[in-house]
Amino acid sequence: MSSTLLLAAVLVPVLGSPVLPLIGSYSERARNLSALVLVLISLAASTALLPVIRTGENVFTGSVLSLGPTIFHADMLAVFMAIVSIIVGAIIVFYSFGYIQSFDHRDEYYFVVVLFLGAMMGLIYANNLIILYLFWEITAFACWRLIGFFREDKQVLKANKAFLITMFGSLVMLIGFLMIYSQTGTFDLNLIKEQLKNTPVSNGAVILILFGILSKSATLPFHTWLPDAGVAPSPVTALLHAAVLVKIGVYVFARLFVATMSIDPIWHTFVPWIAGVSSMVSAGAALLENDMKRIIAYSTISQLGFIFLGLSIGNEIGIVGGLLYILMHSLAKGGLFLCAGIVEHGTHTKDITKMGGLASSMPVTTGAFLVCALSVMGIPPFGGFFSKFLVLAGAVKSNQYALAAVFFIGAVFTMLYLTRLFVMIFLGEARGQSAHEGTPEMVVSVALLGILSLAGGLFVHIPLNYLHATTRMLLGGS
Amino acid sequence: MNESCLILSFTIPLIAALLIPLLSRGSSRVPVDVLAVAVSIANGTIACIMLGETATVSLPWLGEKIELAFRLAPFNSLILAGIAFFGIVLAVYSIGFLRDDSHWAQYYLYFLLTIGFANGAAVADNLVLLLFFWEGLLIPLFGFIVIGRPEAFRTAVKALIIAGVCDLAMAIGAGILFCGPWQLTFSRLTQPIAIEGAAAVAFVLLIIGAIAKAGSMPFHTWIPDAAVDAPLPFMALVPAAIEKLLGIYFLGRLTLDIFKLEEGSWASYLLMIIGALTILAAVMMALVQKDYKKLLAYHAISQVGYMILGIGTALPAGIIGGLFHMFNNAIYKCCLFLTGGAIEKQTGSTDLKKLGGLASRMPVTFACFFVAACSISGVPPFNGFFSKELIYDGALERHWIFYALALLGSFFTAASFLKLGHAAYWGPRSEENDKISEAPLSMLLPMLSLAAVCVFFGLFNQLPIGKLETVLGVVRTNGRHFAGWPASSMLIGLTFIGLTAAILNHLFGVKRSGSGLGASDHFHHAPILETMYARAELRKFDPYEWGLKSADVLAHWFWSLDRAIDWFLEAILCERTLDLSHTLSLIHRGSYTLYLFWCISGGVLVVLYLMNSL
Repeated sequence: MSSTLLLAAVLVPVLGSPVLPLIGSYSERARNLSALVLVLISLAASTALLPVIRTGENVFTGSVLSLGPTIFHADMLAVFMAIVSIIVGAIIVFYSFGYIQSFDHRDEYYFVVVLFLGAMMGLIYANNLIILYLFWEITAFACWRLIGFFREDKQVLKANKAFLITMFGSLVMLIGFLMIYSQTGTFDLNLIKEQLKNTPVSNGAVILILFGILSKSATLPFHTWLPDAGVAPSPVTALLHAAVLVKIGVYVFARLFVATMSIDPIWHTFVPWIAGVSSMVSAGAALLENDMKRIIAYSTISQLGFIFLGLSIGNEIGIVGGLLYILMHSLAKGGLFLCAGIVEHGTHTKDITKMGGLASSMPVTTGAFLVCALSVMGIPPFGGFFSKFLVLAGAVKSNQYALAAVFFIGAVFTMLYLTRLFVMIFLGEARGQSAHEGTPEMVVSVALLGILSLAGGLFVHIPLNYLHATTRMLLGGS
Repeated sequence: MNESCLILSFTIPLIAALLIPLLSRGSSRVPVDVLAVAVSIANGTIACIMLGETATVSLPWLGEKIELAFRLAPFNSLILAGIAFFGIVLAVYSIGFLRDDSHWAQYYLYFLLTIGFANGAAVADNLVLLLFFWEGLLIPLFGFIVIGRPEAFRTAVKALIIAGVCDLAMAIGAGILFCGPWQLTFSRLTQPIAIEGAAAVAFVLLIIGAIAKAGSMPFHTWIPDAAVDAPLPFMALVPAAIEKLLGIYFLGRLTLDIFKLEEGSWASYLLMIIGALTILAAVMMALVQKDYKKLLAYHAISQVGYMILGIGTALPAGIIGGLFHMFNNAIYKCCLFLTGGAIEKQTGSTDLKKLGGLASRMPVTFACFFVAACSISGVPPFNGFFSKELIYDGALERHWIFYALALLGSFFTAASFLKLGHAAYWGPRSEENDKISEAPLSMLLPMLSLAAVCVFFGLFNQLPIGKLETVLGVVRTNGRHFAGWPASSMLIGLTFIGLTAAILNHLFGVKRSGSGLGASDHFHHAPILETMYARAELRKFDPYEWGLKSADVLAHWFWSLDRAIDWFLEAILCERTLDLSHTLSLIHRGSYTLYLFWCISGGVLVVLYLMNSL
């Protein structure tokens, strides 16, 4: 039963997505709803796995093509990640009902978005390096198609850039996978874990895999594709570049280097420092940008640094904080991008120097934007406060005071550029033509993400208890 | 009973705050006004029930050291009473003041949020829980200032950034304690933490949070800006009263229970130096202000210096003086801001150049101003005199220089209030102000009650001081009592000399410039001070401006680095790949002969390979 649920979580969206354009040729409404239903089925399947894996039991599915004994595998980490991704994904699909209706190629849009979410599930539940790589590249393809959605030269060029940089990273990572294979003789994560119980994985493999991880999670020095990808439609930017796609890198880091293999202690210093520099540099760039979506994209790069810090610092507090950060950041940053979408829809510009005073014409969006921004800044009672606190505590716990100082600068910059962004868009004198609030679907979506950000702070003990158990299981197992 | 009151103290205002958007739907303002006053009174009742009681509520929350722990002790029950008192006063006052303001619903939302978060911070017994409420105060702070003048959002951002950065420092301080061998729940600490090693870093970071909340230098610069931009009752409620109570309360907890602040330690000297500099620098700025509210704002900063100096001495007299001064200052400063509000409401301006001669037109307001101004200047028998004397006592025991600086501060305080009173209430009256009348009763009552407390706490100072002695405990006070007339006649003598000097200085200044407003011009235009004042006007000494400038420089560096990396990725990776694919595309351009050539060459290669392997 459980393994059927697991297969459903992955295969329903992956196999269902090609049907969407067929439905779309008969009825727009039916296609939109089926897209949402596919995503919700996957969400239901992942949620149904919760009671099973909560007892500490893992769920496996059988093998194909003699790749290894198991293909998919659900544990607490994977289910957490899957539920976070698919909840935000579902909200974004719902938001798209309003956003995308005025553009062409809607069939392709829903097909690629649902395929992407399915591939994301496959990647999360993969228990085999080759399967993981396979879904990784499906997401890269979907990302390329979605960035270039408007099909003009400029967009296609940016889509190519994103594709080439992440592809370069993933090919280097594949070589890393092969090195692990040569060390252990298997691609199966459980077998690798047993093989490498007492010896750390070779540093060469780690560095090659890091190329893939850093490029996918847009971390210095492979980060510049992310701000450029803002040419995509806003729900896409929210989906790919804030909430879901960029979390692939950090998830795979946790899956491979926290849950499965032990790594040389040097990486517990090296990776956080890369993350710190990345966080600081991109936050500085965000302060100088004038394009609304580029600012939020730089902010994503900066926040990913915090997640990496938590996951790579090598102690329990940091890992719990990093995982909680994934949740809080997905909700808040998804919300920010969707709000930016409403603003762009209403004002037909992304340049914040041409905006101002939108608070009176867009009250709900303003409220949602402010809540999400405060959460990203780390101000209670919103969820971002707890994750930021735990991640910084993780750095302090490892006695990395200099590192904590670097992240402190990053956090101060975050406050600066987000208040600047909020003030320039929503407060002050109205510039240009007056804007109107988004469609009901769009407004409901952003309000929902705002409420979730608040609930994440008020009821933080629920995810946190789960993540404490997850982390103990991960660390106890390796 | 006390346990449920403890929880209700912050849940009632926070839940009521959420009701405001619903109640403000209609056109009538009555439901919101009633709700705000009712909640304030309920809050006051709860605070009265809990005054002097003890109670503990502890629930598991985030595991390990972070628990949902609330604790009622003599100290924070006083703070709760203070917050509740100011809540009632301001709720009543705001009804009259905000009658014509379009942002009234938002104002009450932030008002209740402030009360709720402040109560939560006062009763929190765990550092992370305290941070939760503490930083939550940033939201109403930002909101309050934004609803002021149209350009007020710049000041709101400034306040948010300064407070946010300091709170972040505090969060890191809490993180250090969290990771060390120390408890985060205050009542679980078996003994105060020694200030050394990592704990010293944590101490400094937490102190930054505490004194920044209280509005001490160098974290003060948003307050004078907010005085001009934000709605006036906000100034009376937040920077003048609640933030002082909370900031100094936390400073008190840090130095008394959580850390072990010893006399003569570097930490003690650090606090005393910050305190003394804040007193003097802020009062010098206050002296030359030409706006009623801005002048008060600088005093709000200056007075914090006395509290920090007193607590920093780590002597019982200084600590009790500092804590007593915290309450006194909140009371008279709140009263002073409210008189400013009454004047603003009746005359439409707080610019001292346009005011004058209001004493006969607004006698009640003037009487309240007179009492509060005497209190802040340290005139006996008002409350400010007794707390200042205790602080002097402590400061003098540590080093005469601190005492001298504090006394000099008092001289300037008295001088600037003589100037303010003279410029606003005496002298000639302009024609527009000839017809004005006294403020409405809903604004007078709060002012009168505050002024009454100034007198009461002065005449019966053994009451509050006795409570503070129980806070400190018999061990710390050595059984000494601090209430009543100060013991040292030398201190009293010097205080009187200072006050007399202030009066003489005022007469000199008035004679020299010809008006009450110009009474401090001889300081303003003194040789070195004049350039200093000119630079201060240009915000050359504003740490916020320095911070923004350095952030901008840093951001430009980071930006160039980012662009350099982008160029590299574009030029090396993307361009070369596209070049390569372009080159490769040349070999299959649809030419039949070319394809035939490739086929044959391939075939030849296969044949050659097969022949070779055979």
